[in-house]
Amino acid sequence: MTGFFDRRWRGFRVVNLVGWGLLAAMILGVYLAKTMAWGERNQIASVEIQIRQEKLRIRLLEAEVAHLEQPRRLEALSAGALGMAPIGPKQEIALDDLHRFERQKPIPAPTLAEPPVFAQADVGAPGVAAKIAVAGPVTTQFAAPQVTQQ
Amino acid sequence: MTGPVFAPARLPLAWRWLGSWVWRLEHAFERARAAASPHDSRRRIALVMIAFGLAFFVMGIGATHQALFSGNSAEFSGASASPYARAALTDRNGALLAVDLPHYQLYVDPREVWDVQGTQQALAAILPQAQAKRLNKALTGTKRAFVIGGLTPDQRTAIHDLGLPGLSFEDDERRVYPLGNTASHLIGFSDSAGSGLAGAEKALDADVRKAAVTGGSVPLSLDLRVQAALEDELRKAANQFTVRGAVGLITDVHTGEILALASYPDFDPNNAGAADPNALVNRVAQSVFEMGSTFKIFTVAQGLDSGTVRLNSTFDVSHPLTIGTQTIHDYDKGDTTLDLPHVLLHSSNIAAAKIALAMGADTVTGYYRNLGLFGSAPVELAESARPLLPQKWSQNVLASASFGNAIAVSPLAVAAGTAAVANGGTYVPLTIRKVEPGHEPKGRRVFSPQTSQTMLRLLRMNVLEGTGGKADAPGFSVGGKTGSNEKVVAGRIDRNKLVSSFAAVFPADGPPEAKRYFLLVLMDEPHATKETYGFATGGWTAAPAAGRIVSRVGPLLGLKRAPVAATDKATVEAALASGEDH
Repeated sequence: MTGFFDRRWRGFRVVNLVGWGLLAAMILGVYLAKTMAWGERNQIASVEIQIRQEKLRIRLLEAEVAHLEQPRRLEALSAGALGMAPIGPKQEIALDDLHRFERQKPIPAPTLAEPPVFAQADVGAPGVAAKIAVAGPVTTQFAAPQVTQQ
Repeated sequence: MTGPVFAPARLPLAWRWLGSWVWRLEHAFERARAAASPHDSRRRIALVMIAFGLAFFVMGIGATHQALFSGNSAEFSGASASPYARAALTDRNGALLAVDLPHYQLYVDPREVWDVQGTQQALAAILPQAQAKRLNKALTGTKRAFVIGGLTPDQRTAIHDLGLPGLSFEDDERRVYPLGNTASHLIGFSDSAGSGLAGAEKALDADVRKAAVTGGSVPLSLDLRVQAALEDELRKAANQFTVRGAVGLITDVHTGEILALASYPDFDPNNAGAADPNALVNRVAQSVFEMGSTFKIFTVAQGLDSGTVRLNSTFDVSHPLTIGTQTIHDYDKGDTTLDLPHVLLHSSNIAAAKIALAMGADTVTGYYRNLGLFGSAPVELAESARPLLPQKWSQNVLASASFGNAIAVSPLAVAAGTAAVANGGTYVPLTIRKVEPGHEPKGRRVFSPQTSQTMLRLLRMNVLEGTGGKADAPGFSVGGKTGSNEKVVAGRIDRNKLVSSFAAVFPADGPPEAKRYFLLVLMDEPHATKETYGFATGGWTAAPAAGRIVSRVGPLLGLKRAPVAATDKATVEAALASGEDH
């Protein structure tokens, strides 16, 4: 024990040199650990903010979709613009009964569809205009969020 | 070593003791040095070094741990940090019903506003809903003031793009109901401080707040597709018969889940404060009605279950039944004697009263109590109303209650009670929470499975042959009972004001444990039309709507439309005639 404390290297006690070395290593280690941790922490924070923003956007889009797809609106559009109505029992068929509708005739050869020609009178007819107006684009309620980077 | 100079013998003992102690302390080092070995100082240095080394090591570990693992991870967890935050409400399939969305509050600092009139005009153009008086007060005041809240991101951007000085924004998360009026009474609404005020928002307030912390959502039992079909048909019927109000309700008879709940008129929960107070009333939960003949479902089931009557029991209905001053009539069908199935099919008040009187008040009230008709319907909704009950169960009251008079209950209570008739005899509490598949809610037995099976056949027969014929939906085996009750207005019966209803179960065939649903359609003060030949009773108003609703929601509920058998009616009659049930 005494020999260890008395041992010297170039006039310096070895025990002191070891102590200083350990202290320097500890300071450097803590510095590096804190620096790296801070970088990682910033990166995590940045990712978390991105996740939060994306979640917010998803929430807004979901609300927008729910608003646009609300049953009452779709019913009004489908009934008003397309003349649709709830299906009746005669319009339903079970999967097992599909064989009753098997083809009796060969499928006719496909023909290129002619582009529809609208008479000027059709386009200007009040009924057509009303349908177009009803089926037109709707204004959205919830615009995309203006999220700023924090 | 000399004695202590501070402790002469003439001093008191305490002073001498203190002087000796100070003296020993003063010379402790001298004594230690004299008695020490040459290696002691080195040992002490080594000990001090070890102690400091350990201290530095511990501090180093602590610093490293702090550097690497400290910090509140919840700060960036993505969950809303607002104390007013509420989780989203969804239907049972995940469709969004209510959600918190970012909004903004507008503030004005008049000390920074250069052009008061220009700012006022510009803001008024973008925000027509802003109160001119408040805006003017804010612009001409002396300090920063609130102008309006609930601005959408679009409105915020529009105001921001004006480039006007003195305007600033603060975050203002608001509750949004993207479906508008759809399911408004079931979803309810909350205030700007994040507290639920009505419907599921109030009933599940704690769950909604808790889920907001983790960023989750709260699923309801509601099926939006079923709700939409119910609301659509109810609204059409309500418009057709120009009703005062209407009720639609669909539940699962086995789990008690409320799949759809509609109260007409409805309101927009996004602006509940501006809604008509009449529209805010949840008639399914808050209102109580004398249900009329739909109560005969309970009377006949009680009679069968208690053994008071059997299927082949007969009743003389040729003359009105007089009890004291009260005379009970049947709707005149020229009947003289009715067996039990035809009591239900012809909706005989006289026979129902006779069944109740035969059972006695104790038996009847015991069943009513077990069917939950003596209390508010057991459901999470705070709106669930208590019934109006007679103070004394006299013979008159007993007879009246047997056909749905003298006792007023909420549609929710009727749903829970009728479900017990149709699900094998177990009373299951209703719920607005989604019940996971396979979970069997606890209930209490009220009727035997045999009674339940017989009642299902009787109800089906009533649709095939009785007053509920217009409720039949091809392939879905609807069973049910009509009800029409004249309202009491200012203490007198008003024969022109009816509560007309139809209580249905579908499909009515199959064993009691088969998948089955309950539907109630009720109209408050419907008006007869030319198409109904002047009738406004349940069979002409509520029953057709019920049939259309079943036809639409059956496929949505996973029910397969059975081929309509020509022998359907004969099959039910044969099952009843065989006496296999009662």
